[in-house]
Amino acid sequence: MDQPVLEFSDVTKRYGEVTAVDRVSFTVAQGELFTLLGPSGCGKTTTLRLVAGLEEPDGGEILFNGQPIASPARGLFVQPEKRNMGMVFQSYAIWPHLTVFENVAFPLKVRRESAQTIRKRVLEALELVGLGGLEDRGATQLSGGQQQRVALARALVYTPSILLLDEPLSNLDAKLREQMRFELRSLQRRLNLTVLYVTHDQTEAMTLSDRIAVVHQGRLEQVADPVEVYERPATSFVGEFLGRTVSLEGQMRREAGRGWVDILQGMGRIQIAEDRCGHLREGEQVRVITRPEDIDILPRGEAGVNQVAAKVDEVAYLGDHIEYSVSVGGRSFLLAAGKKERYSVGSEILLALNPAQVTILKL
Amino acid sequence: MKASGTALTLPLFRGRLRPFLLGQWAAVAFFALLTGLPVVFLFLGSFNLAAPGKETVYGVQNWIRAFSDSGTLSALWMSISISVVRIIPAMVLAVLMAWLIARTDIPGGKTLEFLCWLAYFVPDFPMVLAWVLLLDPNFGFLNTMARSLPFVDGPIFNPYSFWGIVWVHTAVTGIWFKVMLLTPIFRQLGASLEEAARVSGANNFTTLWRISLPVLSPMILAIAVLSFIRGLQSFNTELLLGTPVGIYVYSTRIYDYIRQEPPAFGEATALGSVFLFVLAILLFFYWRFLRGQRKFTVVTGSGYSTLKVKLGKWKYVALGSCIFYFLVTMILPLIFLVIGSFMRRYGFFNIKSPFTTAHWMNLFSDPIFMVSLKNSLIIATTTALGGILLYSSVAYLLISRRATLGVSMSLESLCWLPHVMPGILMSLGLLWIFLATPFRVVLYGTVWGIALALIIGDSPVTTQAFKAAFLQLGPDLEEAARVAGASWKYAYRRILLPLVAPVAATVGLLNFGSALTSITTPVLLYSAQSRPLSILLLEYSFAGELERGAALGLLITVFMCLMMLIGRKLGLQLTGTGR
Repeated sequence: MDQPVLEFSDVTKRYGEVTAVDRVSFTVAQGELFTLLGPSGCGKTTTLRLVAGLEEPDGGEILFNGQPIASPARGLFVQPEKRNMGMVFQSYAIWPHLTVFENVAFPLKVRRESAQTIRKRVLEALELVGLGGLEDRGATQLSGGQQQRVALARALVYTPSILLLDEPLSNLDAKLREQMRFELRSLQRRLNLTVLYVTHDQTEAMTLSDRIAVVHQGRLEQVADPVEVYERPATSFVGEFLGRTVSLEGQMRREAGRGWVDILQGMGRIQIAEDRCGHLREGEQVRVITRPEDIDILPRGEAGVNQVAAKVDEVAYLGDHIEYSVSVGGRSFLLAAGKKERYSVGSEILLALNPAQVTILKL
Repeated sequence: MKASGTALTLPLFRGRLRPFLLGQWAAVAFFALLTGLPVVFLFLGSFNLAAPGKETVYGVQNWIRAFSDSGTLSALWMSISISVVRIIPAMVLAVLMAWLIARTDIPGGKTLEFLCWLAYFVPDFPMVLAWVLLLDPNFGFLNTMARSLPFVDGPIFNPYSFWGIVWVHTAVTGIWFKVMLLTPIFRQLGASLEEAARVSGANNFTTLWRISLPVLSPMILAIAVLSFIRGLQSFNTELLLGTPVGIYVYSTRIYDYIRQEPPAFGEATALGSVFLFVLAILLFFYWRFLRGQRKFTVVTGSGYSTLKVKLGKWKYVALGSCIFYFLVTMILPLIFLVIGSFMRRYGFFNIKSPFTTAHWMNLFSDPIFMVSLKNSLIIATTTALGGILLYSSVAYLLISRRATLGVSMSLESLCWLPHVMPGILMSLGLLWIFLATPFRVVLYGTVWGIALALIIGDSPVTTQAFKAAFLQLGPDLEEAARVAGASWKYAYRRILLPLVAPVAATVGLLNFGSALTSITTPVLLYSAQSRPLSILLLEYSFAGELERGAALGLLITVFMCLMMLIGRKLGLQLTGTGR
């Protein structure tokens, strides 16, 4: 396996009493777009700033291209300007007293490139982000989207080994955000960039990332590719954060190499493949997590395998679909369904779960 | 909320960047020396019976002598009385004018605001001199006019009196700055509060009296108390108008002690120390008061007022009154400065060819004038540049996320010390340091000593202005430069410095102006070689050369106003407390 570009091992950052980053470990491989996803204040931005060298860790070690760049135990800390990383700030941090050209040229000037090289590479970088011809504009005459492109060009112009993006799309309006997301992804593919991306937006994370790390209270809850994070959340926090989930409690049953979950004492049973429940014991209390879109509503009949008895509490007609509030035992949740079959309030129904799309967590 | 915020930001970078930490403490130490040491020396000096620079002899005789003199306590009492009495009319007028500008449809409100702004920068001493020209019992123009009225025998105005001093204070420095502070406060008052009162049936006046003023009273009171404390620092007016008739305030008393031969340093420092105690007590209560009032400030609502009170036919009365006030307090004295400077002998309108340019000629051909001009320019330039360099660094340290709590708190309080410390006491403490230490050669009686004292005095406003500027920029711009590969120094030079340049120009101009016109600070520190223009003006006034003084005063005033107008033209906002 290739050497990872970035490696965090047991990195901790404390602010007084608060532990912002708590023994975090992960690696980012060459050419990978790695996303730190989490709610605000979870420590994801702090993690990014630790990478950039804008914060100093209190413990652990950060390796960059195999070399340690921050290691409190060894008293080692590489200053941000010595790390050769590119960063796009959430506010873009476009220097208002410089033109577009001067903004992008700044990192090259610092590196004492010749005027000729600077001109060539700045124009290339601006072309790359779609700002060709705007180099003489003042930085303050740009729209939000253009400022963001300048920030991106500025971060790319010196071909850094890693690009750090701190919520780069959060200040754009919805339409522009979608466009930039697409452009960012194709740029990353084309240049084979290694990117560490920070966001609180799960759609962004799902569509952009090779791998996602879900961050919660300074810890990584799960590190996996988007499909796995969504479909097999490692914790209930991950499940809930990534979208609406349905969670049902039940008891684990195992018998002759088969396993199933008894939902709420006899409301139904869900069969579980052996490889998904090997770590669980007979009789253990568990939680079954699945997504509303993986549940089908059936008229009440004999409950078959992977079906759970439920009742319709409320019906909302939403034009293209119908939303039902259903309850299983005492727990209620919302389910969307097509208009072909309709159920009225009070109807007894069956919920059909897809056993391939459920996650079992120990309670 | 705030506490957790600081807890979050403070320990950043701790442990790393040792030089930075060292720099911080060096800055604190430097500031402690600069602003704290004069106070310490002042206090210690009061127990020293020997002259500064001689071998120290400790004793309490200075205190005994100072207080066996009944003049000492009466001077302190006079300071407080004048400061209290002058606050009352000034506050009433300032509140009224701010309300008219901010909340009513008075025609030309913006212009009125601008005039207040300009009047604030008109130096006070030339204006005091102008009031002498107007009110002097023997040759004052208004008294001469009054004599021609029936049933008036003697002079009816006398500036050399308690009420004369109060009047001149009110007219010259009374209301301008207060209006500048109050107008934004009135603007921010949520319109809904006033509208609710109107709907409930209250008329304009009732609304102002029963709703607006009570809601704003904590802030109005805070401004009044601060004005009172600042008023205690007053020196110029009392010196020119009080000293000739034996009305002493503590600052003029200190001046007298130092200027007598031999200088009575002991008594002066004892009196200064007593005043410091009075000041400390006042500040303590002011602080307590402010803390108690904080919860009242619910005033800044989202309902930013656009609806203005309609004055109807009264608006011309209001405008007329404001214009009249400006005419009487600003234009009339300025006109008489001009007339005075061109009269052969001021007050004698009936002699043959009463007007002459001789005083202007004399002024410009006076070698002392040229030397003073040079001194003034050196002092003002040094003060402006030194202030920019020093306080931009201090402000940077203050807002830096790397700064530790201890550092920022000590720096912050040291910066505010000169705001409440009267210029004359700061100078007295510095004078003691200059005399008693090896710095004597460089600083005693030189332009550098004066510039240093002025730089110290500029610390609060300048630091706050830079702090606001840095805060507005935020840390991202600097951090982006760091990540892009720039060293800290490079980022500071290429990114931060150019961005705060407008603020630097603004405060530089302000400090240049105040250095040019300051009297209290250089008055104890100058010598014949380092005499600045403002002191020359003081000397002309005391020597009875009113005509030449009027010319010089006018020159300073015009120069100051021009500078401020140019600054405003450049788009610089020159309010008292930063951007």
